[in-house]
Amino acid sequence: MEFITLVAGSFSTLLNPMVLAYVVAGFLIGTIFSAIPGLTATLALALLLPLTYSLDVTTALMACSSIYMAGMCGGSITATTINIPGAPSSMMTALDGYPLQKQGKGALALGHAAFGSMVGGALGAILLIAIAPFIAKASLLVQTTGKFSLLAFAIIVIVIAQRGKMIKAAMAACIGLMLATIGLDAMEPVTRFTFGLSDLTAGIDLMPVIIGTFAISEILTQANAAKEARQTTEAMSSVKIRRRDFIPPLASIREIGIVCYVKSALIGYSVGTLPGAGGSMGSFLAYVETVRTSSNPESFGKGNPKGIAASETANNAVCGGALVPMLTFGIPGDPITAIMLGVLVINGIQPGPQLMSGQADLIAPMLASLLFSAVVLIPLTLFLLGPYFIKIVAIRKDVLYGAIALLAVVGSYVATYSTFQMIMALVMGVVAYYMRKNDFPVITLLLGFILGPNLEEFLRRALALSNGNPMTFFTNLDSLFFVVLTLVFVYFLAIKKPIKNPVNAVESVAEST
Amino acid sequence: MILLCKKLIFQLLILAVSIGYLITAINLGSPIVEGSIQPSFFPLILGSFAVLFSGVLFYNEFSAVKRSGLTETDSAGEKQFSVPIIIVSIFIYIIAFSTVGYFISSALFVFAIILVFSSKGKYAQKAAISIVIVTLGYIVFEQLFGVRLPALWG
Repeated sequence: MEFITLVAGSFSTLLNPMVLAYVVAGFLIGTIFSAIPGLTATLALALLLPLTYSLDVTTALMACSSIYMAGMCGGSITATTINIPGAPSSMMTALDGYPLQKQGKGALALGHAAFGSMVGGALGAILLIAIAPFIAKASLLVQTTGKFSLLAFAIIVIVIAQRGKMIKAAMAACIGLMLATIGLDAMEPVTRFTFGLSDLTAGIDLMPVIIGTFAISEILTQANAAKEARQTTEAMSSVKIRRRDFIPPLASIREIGIVCYVKSALIGYSVGTLPGAGGSMGSFLAYVETVRTSSNPESFGKGNPKGIAASETANNAVCGGALVPMLTFGIPGDPITAIMLGVLVINGIQPGPQLMSGQADLIAPMLASLLFSAVVLIPLTLFLLGPYFIKIVAIRKDVLYGAIALLAVVGSYVATYSTFQMIMALVMGVVAYYMRKNDFPVITLLLGFILGPNLEEFLRRALALSNGNPMTFFTNLDSLFFVVLTLVFVYFLAIKKPIKNPVNAVESVAEST
Repeated sequence: MILLCKKLIFQLLILAVSIGYLITAINLGSPIVEGSIQPSFFPLILGSFAVLFSGVLFYNEFSAVKRSGLTETDSAGEKQFSVPIIIVSIFIYIIAFSTVGYFISSALFVFAIILVFSSKGKYAQKAAISIVIVTLGYIVFEQLFGVRLPALWG
């Protein structure tokens, strides 16, 4: 209750015009980036990360949470109007949104997408605010041995969640962990893997890793996709959206029903709490559940507003869910929460169980911003600026990538005012580009890099406490809990029946309906 | 260029890095000394896993190459030089950034990136756009967020 009061009080932070400006600017940037096919809110956050140095951490986190919320709903605009989801989380929206657009009911589709995003985002944020303090309290019971098992659980689950490319995901995680071991040892004054380079003594900074992995590798990837971009631009020119298109009819909302919204939000929230699942999985499962329980399943995939509502409600509810492990255990579940964790680390704040109890005043404004983004900024921004977003999508890609490249490279300089870190960002960008090209998920690399130092420290401390006896991980109850949880996840995700990749599964759902 | 062969080279590179990491970890010393865990302990475990995973990936790729008989080709076409050009541009930009300052190096860099992402022609317009982007970048970084950017005049 105390935390809920703190969050409620944090809404007053938004009365500060500068803070509000950063939150609104973050939301706009997030929406623009997620609306443009090829760009993502993750890229927006990676590019803006260096700028958080000059902000206080509360404002930076509030802006990050508004980018996150925007990133989940902006993709629905292009998913509906031109059948190209601006973000992966909106791919299920395209299944029913685009058929509606072809029937001349694009307005209805856009309205439902906006309303679903608002409801899902709000419910996810409320659930997060209500539940996170209890999980945070429980997380304080986890001791050193359990902390290692928890981090190992997170990495293993993220790896096995990369359906169809688990070994590559495991290798990417190993590369991330290997990079994290470069530099001075955390427990003894010994340098490792520096090969005589003094610049590496302090290790590799998080900033060049994030910028290289998400921004520079993206520029390199997009360099081969210019033709596709031109086709998108041509398709855009034929689409016209009016402001009132973003208001769904009340009768249609009633027809969808509160059960569909609440159920989809709960599915999205639950999926969000799982490491590695993300918005695309949340919207996919909610969509499938809605089709399964519908009395008219054959109407899905042909322009049923219920499909749009389920998909958009779930992907925005994921935001609240994904922040639960990040805030309570310091475990990011997806790239955006990983970068948000980076904001904390860069500002010298140690994420983990103590964060919610010791620095709740820091976290509360961020959650207030998340709820504010869902309830106020989603409907307001889409209503006021929605028609213009479609024009932004048609922006010249050469100009866009010129600006992105400048922001990325100069951004990597900001962290330490060192050209060495810029070189590191380039190296990481090239490595990540070739990894992506060879189908390696770079998210596991980033998570390995972020979680690596703690993983090693807790492993060594746990073994030191037990005189080197590895059975300690099975005899301590907190550790045993996560070991069993890991086995359960491995069984259900990797052994029993691997869940299909949502991208591939879309086609099968569409065919079945 | 043969795509599968490129993939095989990439897997081989990862395997080589993993082996190199493991060898370096072994050279860090014994993992346990008088019951105490040493700095080489974690890298040794990690290196072993990395060699295992990269070995499996290399074997899988090698088997795929043998099955397909090196027939799958890369269809990148005209854009195949874009990536190396961008990588070299970024590298030169980083070197020039601290020596000739933000404005000149950034303007040339943004112009180069715009050229890579666009068709030929309208060079004056692209140069003008580059200058606008660099000026906006300066306003955002130095004026708005107080970042000290290197200048030619020191």
